[in-house]
Amino acid sequence: MNLNFADYLIILLYFGFVIGVGFIIKKKIRSSNDFLTSNRSIPLWITSLAFISANLGAQEVIGMVASGAKYGIMTVHFYWVGAIFAMVFLGVFMMPFYYGSKARSVPEYLSLRFDEKTRGLNAVSFAVMTVFSSGISLYALAKLLEIILHWSFDTSIWIAAGIVMIYTFLGGLTSAVYNEVLQFFLIVMGLSPLVIISLQEAGGWEGIKATLQPELTHAWKYMGNAEDNPMGLHFMSLIFGLGFVMSFGYWCTDFLVVQRAMIAKNMSAAQRTPIVAAIPKMLMPLIVVLPGLIAMALMQQSKGYSIPTSENGELDYTMTLPSLIAHYYPSGLLGVGLTALMASFMSGMAGNVTAFNTVFTYDIYQSYFVRNKDDRHYLYVGKTITVIGILISIATAYIARTFNNINDFLQLVFGFVNGPLFATFLLGMFWKRTTGHGAFWGLVLGTAAAAITHGVTVAEGKGGWIAEWYTIKSGMGQAFIVAAVSWIVNFVSTIIISLFTKPKPDEELRGLVYSLTPHQPELTRQPWYLRAGPLGMILLIITVILNLIFF
Amino acid sequence: MFRRINELSFVIGLFFTMVAIILIGGFMISVTMFSKANLYTGIVFLVFGLAMMLIRSGPKNDVENKNE
Repeated sequence: MNLNFADYLIILLYFGFVIGVGFIIKKKIRSSNDFLTSNRSIPLWITSLAFISANLGAQEVIGMVASGAKYGIMTVHFYWVGAIFAMVFLGVFMMPFYYGSKARSVPEYLSLRFDEKTRGLNAVSFAVMTVFSSGISLYALAKLLEIILHWSFDTSIWIAAGIVMIYTFLGGLTSAVYNEVLQFFLIVMGLSPLVIISLQEAGGWEGIKATLQPELTHAWKYMGNAEDNPMGLHFMSLIFGLGFVMSFGYWCTDFLVVQRAMIAKNMSAAQRTPIVAAIPKMLMPLIVVLPGLIAMALMQQSKGYSIPTSENGELDYTMTLPSLIAHYYPSGLLGVGLTALMASFMSGMAGNVTAFNTVFTYDIYQSYFVRNKDDRHYLYVGKTITVIGILISIATAYIARTFNNINDFLQLVFGFVNGPLFATFLLGMFWKRTTGHGAFWGLVLGTAAAAITHGVTVAEGKGGWIAEWYTIKSGMGQAFIVAAVSWIVNFVSTIIISLFTKPKPDEELRGLVYSLTPHQPELTRQPWYLRAGPLGMILLIITVILNLIFF
Repeated sequence: MFRRINELSFVIGLFFTMVAIILIGGFMISVTMFSKANLYTGIVFLVFGLAMMLIRSGPKNDVENKNE
């Protein structure tokens, strides 16, 4: 793939704009709250688009196109079963506690609701996960640029990390959020022409349906039996494992995304942030799932396009999107497409770094090391840890290059930690009897259960490191089952331990638990189109209709 | 005009307008090298960019006034 002057110009323009946003925001950063929490002052349309964009990183864009090619339209379950329901639940039921508690982070909410040990466990595991995720994202970007553009791995790493470092160091969370909105539009508008051009080439949706095997073009029809669909999953496993445990665990508890709603200007806007974000999220499969299906159809139609193969001769699905861009985009648009890919990597990395610096500064440094210093001190710590976080990311990217298996290992560990988390929040917010000991040990046991489940199941040659008791058709199916088991173990053990330990008194739980939080009448007096409940209900109905259309 | 640089919608609009100019300009300079896809995409980007630039954010949406 060769770039010409126009392509380079578009890439340089993008770099200039994201750094420029950092300089514009810089003059308004006066306190640690400005830098780390945006002082809860960001308008709804920006928080909503940043909410979705923080998740629109490399794994999402390239990974979902790859899944679309490998598993077909079943990949839309990540959106129409997983994300939308979880985002509506977050907006309607959970944001009142996150926002109303005035916590600056998700771990700080755990400290208010439970105790310091639960906060510490969540803060440390989250900080480690985010900074390593950022490094993996950086590695993936550099690897991609090395393969498709033959750019030097080192140059790609340092340029991409350097730009993210400049704008996050200058403007903190606000700068990252503002750039995420720019990146959102760039990703959507930069990849839309690709979908239109390649879909036309494949003969439209009817052409795809006529070409591909029916199990790749029906979302639910072949899920009655695990053997009949490419994911190897029964619909109940999918609904519970992905739809409930994994999606709710990610969208409702991961500070990376929840942080974007927590910086809204008021409670109403905070509640509506994930719900407004759910509207573009619902349509995102057009950009990130459909290209995978198009690629498979084009291959079978012998239209001169093929997904690249790896060294062992198998299709390298992760190269589906870059290869489509290389095949269909002419000079000029090629620069737009590549910039959109870079934007997705940078958006993911900046999201991780800004979540990491907030949790490290407030939940680790201020809580356990240096308390009661003036605000300027924490502003400096926040800025310093931003640089350190990016340097750790760079180191992780180099380690990942040397030990390729570290990617799989880290993703696995992240799954173990994330899987059970939603049970802790669900019980914490809706059952006032839940105790700090119950929450802490429930998390520990849930994580252990995830590791053990992975150790006794095998899928695509992975897992089974304790004993090969059970074989699962796909790695994705294995991930759902591991998450489901860890959630159940956490849920049950938290309840049992809570029943044998002393809960916090009611007066300490006001505003933190559903039954002890007074309803806010001013919110219910707003017109229906400004209220989270009715808006969420409309979205759920549309989501059900979409599932029926592509049944 | 300079003050509007502080508005996110204006910044996004300006970016897409400039990209549109590159795409449309490239097509006009060399029709053989730049395909029609550049022209069509450039027009869409231009309309979107100008619309974003013309949207008047309220004073509270202004980065300049954000923390004041």
